Amino acid sequence: MNKTSDNGNAIRVENLVKKFGDLTALKGVSFKVKKGDIVGYLGPNGAGKTTTIKLLTNLLSPTFGKVYINGINVNKNPQKALSYVGSLIEVPGIYGYLTPNELMTHFGKVYRMSSERITKRIKKVLSTVRLGDWEHKKIEEFSTGMKRRLAIGMALLPEPEILILDEPVMGLDPKGIKEIRELINKLGEKEITIFLSSHLLQEVSLTCNKVIFLFEGEIVAYDDVEKILEAPEHKRISVEFLNPLSKDEIDSLRSLKPIGKVKVEGNEAKIDNGGEKRHMHKILSLLVEEGLEVVSFNYEKKDLEDLYISLAGENE
Amino acid sequence: MRGKMTEVLDNIKSDFYDTYLSIKFELRKHYRRNRIQMAVVLALFLASVFYVVPTLWNMGLADTAEEFASTNLSFVNLLIIISGALFAGDVVSSEFENQTGLILFPTPQNHNSIFVGKYIASAMVTLSVVTIYYTVTAIEIQYIYGLFGIATEFIKSYLFSILYMFGAISLIFFFSSILKRSITSTLLGFFSLMMIFPIFEAVLTMVEVEPWFLLSYYEGFITDVLDGVVSTGFGPRSREFAAGFAPDFYHGIYVILGYTIFLFILGLYFANKRRME
Repeated sequence: MNKTSDNGNAIRVENLVKKFGDLTALKGVSFKVKKGDIVGYLGPNGAGKTTTIKLLTNLLSPTFGKVYINGINVNKNPQKALSYVGSLIEVPGIYGYLTPNELMTHFGKVYRMSSERITKRIKKVLSTVRLGDWEHKKIEEFSTGMKRRLAIGMALLPEPEILILDEPVMGLDPKGIKEIRELINKLGEKEITIFLSSHLLQEVSLTCNKVIFLFEGEIVAYDDVEKILEAPEHKRISVEFLNPLSKDEIDSLRSLKPIGKVKVEGNEAKIDNGGEKRHMHKILSLLVEEGLEVVSFNYEKKDLEDLYISLAGENE
Repeated sequence: MRGKMTEVLDNIKSDFYDTYLSIKFELRKHYRRNRIQMAVVLALFLASVFYVVPTLWNMGLADTAEEFASTNLSFVNLLIIISGALFAGDVVSSEFENQTGLILFPTPQNHNSIFVGKYIASAMVTLSVVTIYYTVTAIEIQYIYGLFGIATEFIKSYLFSILYMFGAISLIFFFSSILKRSITSTLLGFFSLMMIFPIFEAVLTMVEVEPWFLLSYYEGFITDVLDGVVSTGFGPRSREFAAGFAPDFYHGIYVILGYTIFLFILGLYFANKRRME
């Protein structure tokens, strides 16, 4: 671990604004990532995830605001700041006429690794990403998934303190996705800070301990995954009726208090705002009073996907 | 104060090392893409064809070493342009177009060092190709006529071609830094020196304006320094365009130096300014 300290923050972003002509991709984004955290950066396409990551890695300059890696301003001292970072951004082009060994040897030197360490790390990393037999083969012979795994391997090569991954499982088959998920979890155990963007919410819930929701260039939530999922407002009631509800029945269901948003599909309804136990009994009584034929009545947590949709909806 | 000084020196040392890494990486890339091999074969072919073809067809060689050298060296310009376009044409633009910059740039390597390394690697390979061409030509002259009589002029031509090469590389590097597509920057680099500048030269000469500010105006010195022998016109183009004017040798050196330095700095500036959007 380096001696640089920023109150335990590996990444600190302050009021980040990025404009592309008339388009404002980021509208004053601020957050901190503590050392050792695995943070999922969630948002739909166009939310500003990749823009943030490009700003974190000095591929873009901010219109306004600052980015710090281990307390070092990325724009002012990118060399030092990025010496702590391994990154995978979008779908990088990889020099197809080179071999993984040639490519990694060069980048190992860039990170000031010794020749001996480079040789060891290449073997280790390629074996981790299941490319051990391909060390001396030209990359142009690789499939899309193999190239993706190689790019992840390159990010891991210097054993960075901070790993920044943009959609790491994109283009991977289910087996590859599982392996990357396990790899990220394993890295998390080593106290590596991981900041990963994704629109695959399920992936994030399985790998990250914290999550940032980004919507149209603004952060709409940032907390521990567990805390977010446990929060009463993020719980709901799932009700099954004997028959699909008629329009009148749906309207009467929606008019009930303290029922919040209601999503009806066939003979099932998901009722927001119902997570609080003190409301549950009341809601059940009201449903029965209305003559709705309730078959089952369950309390459940929203998954990140539902949560994201509701958070995004609140901001629209 | 001492600590600050040490830090500055360490940074300089680190930047030099980054440049060295960039040169090494670029040379490997050129080699793996067979570009170096292609350029060397082209240099060997062009340099030997003026001896091999007349000999095989019993056509008879030039009467003097100067004539032979002048004919042979009139293709140096073409070789420089081809090599320059091959090695510098996509050197910056391709990193953005092919998204390889997403791997190359977010690293602790100084961006200036990356681009300077790319420039130097292009110049090194082109210089090697030109040197091979001159070496083969020198061997031919020595074998047929004896090199001693024109050694000074021959070296002068070689040194001038190196200077011209740097001007050409800077121009092509500049195009690569400002243009989005590799094919556009490569072709523009190639055709600017092969056609566009010469056309401007011709037009300006026609309207009696001396095209002293055009790089290609001085390319003829590569052969003209061979003690008054004028290119026979076998090269990519004859010197007839500029017949009304006589380019000044020293003036030419300054103009080419201007192109080399100014366009290199400008290219570096724009390459650094570019972002992976």
